[in-house]
Amino acid sequence: MKSFFGRLVQAKLCPTLIASMVFSIAVTGMLFAAQQASAVMFDGGWGTLKGQIVVKGDVPEIPLENVGDGPDKEACLVDGVVPKDDNLVVGEEGQLRDVFVMMVTKGKGENAPIHESYDAEADEDSEDVLSIDNVACRFVPHALYVRAGQSVKLKNSDTVGHNCHIITFTNEHNINLPAGGDVDVVLENSHKTPGQVKCDIHKWMDGVILVRDNPYVAITDEQGNFEIANVPEGEWEFQFWHKKGAYLKKLKVDGYKVSRKGIIDVKIESDGELDLGKMEVPGNSLNK
Amino acid sequence: MRRLPDNRLKLTAIRLAACCLALVGLAGCGEPPQTVFKLNSVELLKQEKLFLSGGQSFDDRYSTEIGTILTAFFGTPDQPRVPKVLPEEDPAAEVLSQEKLDAAAGPVLSTLGDNGYHGKGLYREHCAHCHGITGDGAGRTARSLNPYPRDFRLGKFKFKSTPLRSMPTDDDMMQLLVKGVPGSSMPSFRGLLKSDLEALVDYVKYLTMRGQYERYLMAELSNLEEGEPLINLTASGVQDEDDPAKEKYLDSMFDLVGEGLVEDVVERWIDTDDNRSEVPDAPAAMLLDHPDHQALVDQGRVLYYTGGNCAQCHGESVAGNGQTETFDDWTNEWIKSPGVDPFAPATYADFTAAGALPPRPILPRNLSSGEFRGGGQPEDIYLRIANGIEGTPMPAAATLESDQIWALVAYVKALPFIDVDQRLRHKSVNDNAIAK
Repeated sequence: MKSFFGRLVQAKLCPTLIASMVFSIAVTGMLFAAQQASAVMFDGGWGTLKGQIVVKGDVPEIPLENVGDGPDKEACLVDGVVPKDDNLVVGEEGQLRDVFVMMVTKGKGENAPIHESYDAEADEDSEDVLSIDNVACRFVPHALYVRAGQSVKLKNSDTVGHNCHIITFTNEHNINLPAGGDVDVVLENSHKTPGQVKCDIHKWMDGVILVRDNPYVAITDEQGNFEIANVPEGEWEFQFWHKKGAYLKKLKVDGYKVSRKGIIDVKIESDGELDLGKMEVPGNSLNK
Repeated sequence: MRRLPDNRLKLTAIRLAACCLALVGLAGCGEPPQTVFKLNSVELLKQEKLFLSGGQSFDDRYSTEIGTILTAFFGTPDQPRVPKVLPEEDPAAEVLSQEKLDAAAGPVLSTLGDNGYHGKGLYREHCAHCHGITGDGAGRTARSLNPYPRDFRLGKFKFKSTPLRSMPTDDDMMQLLVKGVPGSSMPSFRGLLKSDLEALVDYVKYLTMRGQYERYLMAELSNLEEGEPLINLTASGVQDEDDPAKEKYLDSMFDLVGEGLVEDVVERWIDTDDNRSEVPDAPAAMLLDHPDHQALVDQGRVLYYTGGNCAQCHGESVAGNGQTETFDDWTNEWIKSPGVDPFAPATYADFTAAGALPPRPILPRNLSSGEFRGGGQPEDIYLRIANGIEGTPMPAAATLESDQIWALVAYVKALPFIDVDQRLRHKSVNDNAIAK
């Protein structure tokens, strides 16, 4: 069979164009075979990755949610007042919530062995159901990781109607949620970076969602802490992302070099616990 | 259990087994082409604002490289190409026909040339004024139209028989060309030959794929190290597969071609007929002279204000005056960028300079107009309610049963014939009904 290159040459292209063709390759499946083998057989151990992320320096001023004076205003107040934007939630000691810590799936992480403790979440029929609730016109949780193929229950605990509009690079659901309603959806497709959850009726509502097949993902809690258990032993790349800072390239991690994509190289040891300690991100970099 | 990577592994195998890709430079073919595809400068600017600090731009080399990659796979407006990636498998050929692309492409009424090119210029004759040569929805007339013409590059389509993020079927696209889009500037093209319409359907799919892939490539820029090319071609000739440069090159081929082009763009157009949402048979009471018709309309009216959640956007008087400050996804793509306020033109002057059309809020349909963009048949309206409308705030009525959706259809169909006072009375009558 003639190669694509060959056929392209056959096509009626002028000679200078052909001269400018950059390359033509033909490689064997050896690399693939090697990769596949590593995905199937893994008899190594598993370890844990943990740490805490805090903001250093002044935190950008957090605006109030743009609730406006619409008919639903009452239902969208928290403790009777218009709440602050929940895209940047920082604790009293700078603890930064909602940072995604994710294994980089390109290269090394492409076929990372997956521990059996993660099997349940990849099963569409699993009892282990995630949820996104609407409470006082805010998404709870604000940031969510979903395994590709996993079900998510979309709920509305408010007295006003919402829609829950999830948009990632390759998934989309836009579900009408009348007061008290709930609907299960399945997010099928993996993508490297987080997408958005929004409500078009209350346009200030905006959450974050990551759908990936690789389960080695954590989101920092209110204390800025995260922990990923059962990471296969070996060397992996982990990336830090926050909605207001995109890739956290200015994150300071003691003893590690953080790339401009917010990536560090870590070494996980069998039964080991790698604690990255307190990592600092400059407040002025959270301005997206 | 769903195991997406298996597919990818399979593809990887095929790709690696004998992957041949040729990239063609744009320049150097005697006369420069008269008509070229435009770079998606708005998307590029958006990525720059998201990932680079303070006003920095990506190196111009990236624009050139993206242009080169796109030309290699998709050709030019005069010589479009069905993207061919894998020698042994040809996913794009399942959804695009080179012959049809040729018929749609090229200058208006161009004829068979020495190079075997025989475009009839259908797209430029009928579509490009509004939708633009690139399918960016920014043709010459675009600014004077409301709504703006569709920008295909986002890969979203409103009116179709498939759910969100499933591509429309060929028949969906054909219906749109035949019927037009009432209430917009999109006319009916029913006067054209069926074969010409089919060629245009393929060409729109082609422009969509090209635009989607361009966006994919631009999103990848933020993943590159400083100065690193998207595809490091210089390493393609390296034989040693353990060579880090070669490894990196192969990685980028997996990502950018296997995942980006084949999986995320081309394969989503395959077998779209299988994704069609079923529309259950309408109840007999949909007929106007059926004794239960009014009861069905009444049921729909209650749902409009309650479980259907319709009034929040379409308004209590159904005039489309509920939530009127949201934007569609084509606009949201860039107005969500840091610092942009869609109601303050000074904050987005750089985007309009890059080619973005001034943002306009998307208005919920005025349901008393009797005009339905996606078609006024009960089945059309059923699909809009059941599936929602892609690219817009209109959600899927996933909490309703099909008989409830039919009731809403009956109410929506009845609305143009109910005067405003009566519609507003509906609201209070309804409030009382709920109170009871």
